Amino acid sequence: MSINQLIFRSFQRNVKSYYLYVFALVFSAALYFAFVTLQYDPSMAEASESTRGLVAIRAASVLLIVIVTVFLLYANNLFIKRRSKEIGLFQLIGMTKNRIFKILTAENVILYFGSLFIGTFFGFAFSKLIAMTLFKITGVDAVASLYFSDEAFIQTLLVFGSIYILIMLMNYLFIRNQSILSLFHITSKTESRVSKISSIEILIGIFGILLILAGYYVSARLFDGDFVSINHLFLAMIFILASVIFGTYFFYKGSVRFITNMIRKNKGGYLNINQVMSLSSIMFRMRSNAMLLTIITTVSALAIGLLSLNYISYYSAERNAENTAPTDFAFVTSEDAVAFGEVLKESRISYSEQRVDVLRVEIDIKEITGNDIENKMRVAVISDRYVEGIDVSQGETLFSGYSDALLTLLDLKDSGTVTFHGLTAVFNQEYVGIVNDSVLPLYFTGGLPAVIVNETTFTMLANDMDPDIQFDSSLYIGFTLADRETVEAADTLFQSMPFSQDSGNNSQYSVALQQKINMGTTMFSVGFLGLTFLITSGCILYFKQVEEGDEEQPNYKILRKLGFTQNDLLQGILRKQLFNFGIPLVVGLMHSYFAVKSGWFIFGTELWTPMLIVMGLYAALYSVFGFLSVLHYKKVIKMSL
Amino acid sequence: MNILEARKIHKSYGNKFTRQEVLKGIDISIKKGEFVTIMGASGSGKTTLLNVLSTIDRLSHGSLEIEGEELTKSKEKKLAEFRKHHLGFIFQDYNLLDTLTVKENILLPLSITNISKKEALEKFQMVAADLGIKDIAGKYPNEISGGQKQRTSAARAFIHEPSIIFADEPTGALDSKAASDLLGKLSTLNEKRKATIVMVTHDPVAASYSSRVIFIKDGQIYTQLNKGEESRNTFLKDIMKTQGVLGGVHNEH
Repeated sequence: MSINQLIFRSFQRNVKSYYLYVFALVFSAALYFAFVTLQYDPSMAEASESTRGLVAIRAASVLLIVIVTVFLLYANNLFIKRRSKEIGLFQLIGMTKNRIFKILTAENVILYFGSLFIGTFFGFAFSKLIAMTLFKITGVDAVASLYFSDEAFIQTLLVFGSIYILIMLMNYLFIRNQSILSLFHITSKTESRVSKISSIEILIGIFGILLILAGYYVSARLFDGDFVSINHLFLAMIFILASVIFGTYFFYKGSVRFITNMIRKNKGGYLNINQVMSLSSIMFRMRSNAMLLTIITTVSALAIGLLSLNYISYYSAERNAENTAPTDFAFVTSEDAVAFGEVLKESRISYSEQRVDVLRVEIDIKEITGNDIENKMRVAVISDRYVEGIDVSQGETLFSGYSDALLTLLDLKDSGTVTFHGLTAVFNQEYVGIVNDSVLPLYFTGGLPAVIVNETTFTMLANDMDPDIQFDSSLYIGFTLADRETVEAADTLFQSMPFSQDSGNNSQYSVALQQKINMGTTMFSVGFLGLTFLITSGCILYFKQVEEGDEEQPNYKILRKLGFTQNDLLQGILRKQLFNFGIPLVVGLMHSYFAVKSGWFIFGTELWTPMLIVMGLYAALYSVFGFLSVLHYKKVIKMSL
Repeated sequence: MNILEARKIHKSYGNKFTRQEVLKGIDISIKKGEFVTIMGASGSGKTTLLNVLSTIDRLSHGSLEIEGEELTKSKEKKLAEFRKHHLGFIFQDYNLLDTLTVKENILLPLSITNISKKEALEKFQMVAADLGIKDIAGKYPNEISGGQKQRTSAARAFIHEPSIIFADEPTGALDSKAASDLLGKLSTLNEKRKATIVMVTHDPVAASYSSRVIFIKDGQIYTQLNKGEESRNTFLKDIMKTQGVLGGVHNEH
């Protein structure tokens, strides 16, 4: 049989075990190509015209290369291990290692570049989808066309060509360092034994937890004013990163083993099948898993953190727009409002109008703030008459226009007394809380909450107002469109009015659009990266589980011979997977929570909703991989007897 | 009283075209407390027979009853439950879980019963003392010798006091000293605990430890020998003689 035939035969026979490898390849090629295509897409020019957007995409593509390389090397590692027996056989029949390497290389060329082209095709088809998503997010009205970029293709080829050389190098080293015997035994090779748990290990575990806590602590104080100069800030961030990452590693290395060992010792050797399948298997592999789990945790935390911050800014965009203009259109002079009303009527766009009298009053919030810097502030006051669904009794006051950033800044208590300073009179009002809705545009509030009082109190304040601190206009006119569909047309009309740029006149729609365009490209790149992180880390964990499943198949066979049912085994596997996927997820979520918590207010005004949404989605998508791995185990268990 | 009753057991592999009949109508009955050996040359179907008798493999047709329970038509899950509760196994390649210590391996079959931890540990002490593996209780399988592994495997088979223990070439991978050591222990346990043992081997010395030897040739029972009141040595000679007549692979001893 000639070498060519041999290659062909082994190729045919191995198709089944190739699928993981091929999947990894097609997936990463598609991802990369789609992303690079965007870079060269002429219709993208508009969306990424800001240099910041361009930098974001560049940075993302470099990071993407790193992720893809690690991912492919890992997949290849798994793949070559699976074929070690075959390599051993070739050696046994007298083939030199160089020859075998040549065969593998030739085989890989077919496989690798075949998958690469398939992946590129998928990426090509997929890039339009991505482009459309990007345009949708940024609100740019460009039609995404199916565009094949030669530059993108060449770049993809170059990058994956280099990765191919790396993979071949890895294979070469693998073959060179193996003897015939070890190749035959590699799949059944067990990891070094769990030795006696030493006290050093416990110390390592505790040290790890301390490191993580120290990182959390510093992160919580990061923007509290303790670190003033940029250098200090930067050093603190490096410290947080290092202590959390190393802490996580030590935690896995020491604590997890220590805890599992405690449970196991406690059983006195009397383990049930669930514990055999989960506990002992986890302990058995903890040494090599510690590193992997640390990487997965870090990557997850990074992804969740990035996505959260990102979504916070995106989510805040709408809120910001609402805060800038609570109704579709906002005016501060009657003439402008009337003029625009005429225009809308001409175009048969129906709307409702609301006129609100606004006062500016100085209030003292010493009693209700936990912050001792700002006590007196000038706020916009309106009567509860104008606010639908809110009724404030005499002597009470309500704040409106709630944002998490505001809450953090003012640190408002739930109740207390607020002192109003009129021109002559000073009186107290009972503060009853803060509501989410924003009722006044930014023009009046200046970012502070608007204050709602009873009509009587309002009249009293109006009669006693300080004319020096009043706004240029004391009237806010809000237009609310009857039909949301007409908002674009109305906005176009608004932009064509001569007063559209005047201070105080705002269109909610264009404010939101402007914000989205500003951060859209960055957001898209980060979102794309986050998703890639998620998928690759999920895949790596899944691959690892496939590998473990293959290695443990003999154990399942034994257990099934002894009479344990498939269901018995699967119950144990479920627990094991709950640990394998759950622990990095939970620790990753915690890390990202503290990371986001420390600096979120730089990115936007809302913390909880966007962060929880991102975390929930991430956890759900991530669980899909856990679920897939359980399915794989189910198959392995079924096949084992 | 017959603890195992098998009638007209047939087992064939492959599809309609590549059909290969391995067992061609075997009748076996085993009494409680017996130590039976099944012997035969390679390819005679003795391991298949053991797998079928121990419900690991399904028979093509025929009937199998263990402890009065008809198992031929049982679902796979029920068979597994049956194995778990009523059968013990010793395999040639030990089949120990390398992620568990010796003690954990042995206690595994007890975990599905409702035995308290204290009782379980007592049972472990007894069986470990019988088989001489008390000192290695905390070790992992790859830290102990083949003989120790096989004794661990035997302890696992005995601990939950199953109705029948099936042993597939238990001495196949052991040196002669470890082998005779193990067989001595098996026959002691057979007498002491009144445990029923069914063993498959091609080694006449191993077979001579049992009370009855069934010879299989080409999927059918060829003959059987009873030890009766004979000494082990005479029984061994009888076995070797029969094996000589039987042909096939002769013993290496």
